[in-house]
Amino acid sequence: MTAIIDIKGLTKRYKTITAVDDLTLSVEEGSIYGFVGPNGAGKTTTMQVLTTLLKPTAGEAFVAGYSVTRNPRDVRRVIGYMPDFFGVYDDMKVWEYLDFFAACYDIPESDRPPLIADLLALVDLSHRADDMVDGLSRGMKQRLCLARTLTHDPQVLILDEPASGLDPRARVEIRQLLVELAGMGKTVFFSTHILADVQEICTQVGIIEAGKLVMQGDIEDMQRQLIPYREVVITLIGGADKAKDFLFAYEGVQVVEDRSADNGRSRLHVTMAGDDMAVSQLLAAMVAAEFPVMHFTEETRDLESVFMRATKGIVS
Amino acid sequence: MSESLSYFRKRSRIGAFVRRNPVALKELRGRMRGSRAFAVLTVYVTLMGLFTASLYLIYSASTTLTLTTSGGIIGKLIFGGVVAIELFLVCFVSPAFTAGAISGEQERRTLSLLRTTLLPARRIVIGKLLSALAYNVLLLIVAVPLQSLAFLMGGVTIEEVVLSIEILLVTAIAYGAIGIFFSAVTRRTLTASILTYTAILLTTVVMPIVSFILFLLSPLGGNFAYGRTVFESILLAVFWLSTALNPVAAAVSTEVVLLSKGTVILFTHRLAYGLNIPLISSWIPYTIFYLMLTVILIALTIRIIRRYGAD
Repeated sequence: MTAIIDIKGLTKRYKTITAVDDLTLSVEEGSIYGFVGPNGAGKTTTMQVLTTLLKPTAGEAFVAGYSVTRNPRDVRRVIGYMPDFFGVYDDMKVWEYLDFFAACYDIPESDRPPLIADLLALVDLSHRADDMVDGLSRGMKQRLCLARTLTHDPQVLILDEPASGLDPRARVEIRQLLVELAGMGKTVFFSTHILADVQEICTQVGIIEAGKLVMQGDIEDMQRQLIPYREVVITLIGGADKAKDFLFAYEGVQVVEDRSADNGRSRLHVTMAGDDMAVSQLLAAMVAAEFPVMHFTEETRDLESVFMRATKGIVS
Repeated sequence: MSESLSYFRKRSRIGAFVRRNPVALKELRGRMRGSRAFAVLTVYVTLMGLFTASLYLIYSASTTLTLTTSGGIIGKLIFGGVVAIELFLVCFVSPAFTAGAISGEQERRTLSLLRTTLLPARRIVIGKLLSALAYNVLLLIVAVPLQSLAFLMGGVTIEEVVLSIEILLVTAIAYGAIGIFFSAVTRRTLTASILTYTAILLTTVVMPIVSFILFLLSPLGGNFAYGRTVFESILLAVFWLSTALNPVAAAVSTEVVLLSKGTVILFTHRLAYGLNIPLISSWIPYTIFYLMLTVILIALTIRIIRRYGAD
């Protein structure tokens, strides 16, 4: 796969603050890239450089092969940008809002009506076409804003916190839209605080902290890198003492914790090294040793634990 | 899809020129939407009508002459009164439309959206200026019936009408450009408005006073006998240049020259020692100066918008 966004040694310095520090990052074409980091990590600054709004202090960034500093107009042609706020124009109808931005992208007047109708249908706002933008709910405004980014059919969508401040339903709708857009062949590069969203839809993740990229890759890769051990929860009928002795003696097991249990059951939390086969063999060994195993499951490690492990809570 | 397109049929027909600039179209749509625009224009025309009627009544009451003999003076009075109000409006309304043009986009945080589109900074600035100018032109057009009353009464020449419109338009464009420049410089509409109106007050109140003092001192005022041709010439030139810097003095001196010399372009003034100094009517240097200022301010505004984010 080719990189549609390619950032090389990007640095953006304000008077005394270095917002982005020698950042190198690449986003594959057609991927949904989650750009994750604490507040003040440099996510918005990076996006503003990519969208030609800010000039970098050092380094280079390319979108679809165009340099953001040398070919800003070409970059603008291939990107759709949604900032972390909703820019509202007073006294504007929904269709006028899209018509205005379509005109800003030099789309001929005769092509705009069908385009706007399609975009409104995509974001499920056809029934609000004649309403004033001010009267829309936050979720609807966010969807309208997303439709705005698509007026010129860009290859890359750069979305800064597209789901922030939305209720759960609106969040799910935005998430579904992003997946739909990726299905249409667009590359989605979005920043977020909501790790569940990243875990749910992203094919690539980058974690940034204090202006530096801490990690990049797919989520499973990151999990393997950051948390090399496996965690298994075993529920047994009866006492757990014998099982604990067995587990301590088993190769690869590092920690065994006795967790609370009831109804005559006991629950053990096992931390062990090894791959999927090793986990499977442990279950087989316990059954072979006639331990009354009721439940055997590997504890899933969510992105939150990856994020907490990758970042140190530093803000530049 | 035809249902979802029905809203496009309601679109009003606006000139193709404005349509080509999305910013101008958006601004005009917003400004003319609903009953507000209609109400503002109605109040404006009503007030202008009342003003014109009171001018007529005051003059009629203060003279015993019949209408036929005083018609020319009444005509001139009405024309001058309407133009003076229009000039006042243009001076103070034009910058009101533009002083928040760029800073308002900053405050609404929509400027960055515009800057990531293919719309060049040049078209943003021109669009803002064009929409402000269009509204000003509308205000001037709706006052035409009142001005035409002056023609019924006589005493107003076509040169006066054309030049008054010319000075009003140049003022509208230039003051609009001053507003848009400050709105790009300051990023806050309140500060931009304060700076703009300070500049406007300087040119519409302070400068005419300076021009008047210079007039009294100059050979045209006729109050002093200098006795030295060079000094006299310099004072004349300084006064004449000062009229090019403000609309009030430009309009008044153009009218005075038209009435006294019967020309709107070139004339000569004879100094005390017999030297004839050639001069041009004030509206010409005024137009040249303010149009040049407009071009410079627009260029600077475009440059400022382009440079946002470069630091």
